Amino acid sequence: MAEIPEEIREGLSTALHEGDEEAAESFTRRALDDGVDPLELIKEVLVPTLTEVGENFQEFRIFLPELMLSGEAAKRAGGLLEAAIEAQGKVVTTLGKVVIGTVEGDIHDIGQNIVTSLLSANGFEVVNLGRNVKPSAFLETAESENADIVGMSALMTTTLPMQRRTVKLFEEVGVREKYKLLVGGGAVSERWVNEIGADGFAPDAAAAVELCKSLLGV
Amino acid sequence: MIDIDRLTDVVDRSLTGPVVEERIFDLQHVAAGIQNTVRDYEVQADRDHVVNLDDELADRVWDAALDFLASCGVYSKDTGRVILFSRDEIERLVRAAPSQVPMGSGPDARIDVARTLEDPRPPLITGGPIGSPTPNDLFVPIIRSYVQEPIVDMTCGATLTSIAGREIRTKSPLEILAAWEEIDLMRQARELAGRPGIATTGIMISVSDLGNLTASSSPAVLPTDLHTFGIISELKTNNDILNKLAHILMIEGVVDPYANPIYGGLGGGIEGQAVLLTAELVALSVFFLADCLGTSPTHPLQFQDTGRDLMTATSLSFQAIARNASLLTNLTITPVGGPGTKTLLYETIACAVMSTVSGQSRILGPRSATGAIPAHFSGLEARLMGEAVHAAAGLTREAAEGIVQNALSKYEHLLDQQPYGLAFPEVYDVQSVRPKDQWLKMYEQVKAEAIGWGLPLDAGSK
Repeated sequence: MAEIPEEIREGLSTALHEGDEEAAESFTRRALDDGVDPLELIKEVLVPTLTEVGENFQEFRIFLPELMLSGEAAKRAGGLLEAAIEAQGKVVTTLGKVVIGTVEGDIHDIGQNIVTSLLSANGFEVVNLGRNVKPSAFLETAESENADIVGMSALMTTTLPMQRRTVKLFEEVGVREKYKLLVGGGAVSERWVNEIGADGFAPDAAAAVELCKSLLGV
Repeated sequence: MIDIDRLTDVVDRSLTGPVVEERIFDLQHVAAGIQNTVRDYEVQADRDHVVNLDDELADRVWDAALDFLASCGVYSKDTGRVILFSRDEIERLVRAAPSQVPMGSGPDARIDVARTLEDPRPPLITGGPIGSPTPNDLFVPIIRSYVQEPIVDMTCGATLTSIAGREIRTKSPLEILAAWEEIDLMRQARELAGRPGIATTGIMISVSDLGNLTASSSPAVLPTDLHTFGIISELKTNNDILNKLAHILMIEGVVDPYANPIYGGLGGGIEGQAVLLTAELVALSVFFLADCLGTSPTHPLQFQDTGRDLMTATSLSFQAIARNASLLTNLTITPVGGPGTKTLLYETIACAVMSTVSGQSRILGPRSATGAIPAHFSGLEARLMGEAVHAAAGLTREAAEGIVQNALSKYEHLLDQQPYGLAFPEVYDVQSVRPKDQWLKMYEQVKAEAIGWGLPLDAGSK
C-alpha cells in the first residue's frame, strides 16, 4: 500500500476541520486512487483530526455548527473508506456501537447531539434516536442494532425517572447484562446512577467519550 | 380583553409557513443565519469588559437580531413548518407590546416596568428556586425562606421530586396530581410568610401541557399570578407550548415564558449568542404573545449563566433591547455555587449588578447549584440578590464593570469544580426558617467585600 501523500493528509484534515464535505470526499477519493490503505487513512488522518475537532469544541475554539459540519464531512469520507475496506474483503471495525437518545417526555437534545458528534469523531458508530424516546424504543434499537452501549439523556429532574424505567425494562426482559447503560444530562448525578443501577454517567461530552472507551476496554 | 386573533394568526402561520427539514432549520436558518448577521452587522464584543459600554454596538445587535428573526422564523415541530413574521411586522408588534404589567395583590401588588440602561429604579426581585428539585417535606419551608424576605417582590416555585411517594411521570395522572400539589404548597408557603397576595410564577412541575392546563384551574392560582412555559432551543415550538399559551390567554393570566439559548451551540460564541438571545426574547413577544420575556442562557458544560463569556453576551443583548424597545425583560441567575459557599454569593452579585445596569426589569432566583441538585438553595441568597440589585440601580456601567470584575476574580476559576455546597437543612433551621449562623456570617463577609468594591450595599434599599 502507498504512503499517504502529504498534500492529501493536509487537505483531508483541513476539509474535516472546515466541515467541507465536497473537499473531504475529493481528497478521500484521491487517496484511494493513489493506493492508500483506507485503514491507514482512518488511523492517521480521520481519528486524530476529529479528536482535535472535539477538543476544539470543548475549549470553545469552535462551536456546535462547526462540530456538526465536521461530523458530516467525516461521515462522507468514512462512507467511502468503509466501502473500500469491504471491497478488500475485510471487516469494518469501530470502537463500538452506541444507541443514544433523550428519554420520553424530554425534548432537549442539543446535549446529546454534542455527545453523538464527539463519539462519532472518536470512532464509535452511533445510532441517534433523537428526543422523547420511549424505553421500548431504546430496547428495540439496542437489540436490532446489536449495540454495545445505550445512552439515555435527561435534562429535567421530572424526566429523570424515565432513565430508571428504561434500565428496569432492560432488566425485566432479561437483556440487562448485554449492554452498558449510561445516563447523562444536566440533572444526573453519581448518586442517581447508583440508585437506578446504571453503569455510569459523564458530566460532559468529552468525559462521555472516555467513559465509553473505558467501559468497552478500547 | 382576550386577543384571540393574535394567537390564531400564529397558529395559521404554523400551518401555512414554508416546510423545512428540522436539520436544515438548525444549520441554515439558525446557525448560518446568525453567522451571516454577525458578519454583516460587524458585531464584535469587547473582550476586556463584561458589562457592555458601547451603545452603537448594542444598536447593531438589535438590528442584527430583528433581521435574523425575520429571516429565520420559529420552527413548529408539529407541522414541520416555519412560522414567519416580516421585519415590519416584528417592529410593529414590539411597539405594541406591554411596557408595564401589574402582578400580585394587596400590599404585595407590584408593577413590572420596562427599564433603561443605568436606570435608578431597581428591577423587581423574584426570589425562588425557579423550578429546582425539592423533596416534598422541604417544599414549604424552602419557599417560605424566600417569601419572608421583605426585599423579594414575587416568588416562583420549586419542582416536587415525587407525589404520594411515587416518581412523577410526565403525561400521566401523576403529573396532574403533582401540579396541583405544587400550587397548594405554594399557597401554604405564601400564607405562612404572611404574604398571601405575593405573585408567583408557575407551574414548575409541568413538563407537558397536561399538568399546566389542569392546575391553572386551582383556586390557589390567583388572577395576579404569572404563568410560564419554555420554548425549545433554538427558536422552536410545538402544540404543547401553544396549548399552554392558549390557556393562559383564555384565563387572562400574565404570559411569562422563557427562552434559554445554549452558549457554544447553534448561536456560537459571544457575538452570536448576543444576537440569538436578543432574537429569542423578541420572538417571545412576537410569536408567543409574552407580557414578560425571560431567559437563563445556558453554558453547555457547567449549566450556569454567571461565567464571563455568557455574562458578556447577556449584557450586550439586554442593552440592545433596553435601548431600542420598552419590553419587560428578565434573567434567572443560575450560579454553579450552592448554599454554604462564597462562590454562590459572588456569582449572584456579579450577575445581579451586570443585569441591573443593563436594563432588565426583573431578576429571578438565584437558581443555586445550577438548579439541578435537590434542596440546594435558600432564601438568604435571594436576599443578597435583592440587595445587590437595589445597590446597583443607578450605578454607571463603568462602575458596575469594576464590581463585576472583582466578583468574577473570586469565582470564575471554580465554575468547573461543581461547588454545590450544602442542602437547605444544613444552612437553615427548618422549623424557624432562619439561616444558621455560619451561612449568615458568610453572607455578611461577602457583603463587606462587595462594599469594598464600590457596591453600596450599606446605603439601604431604594
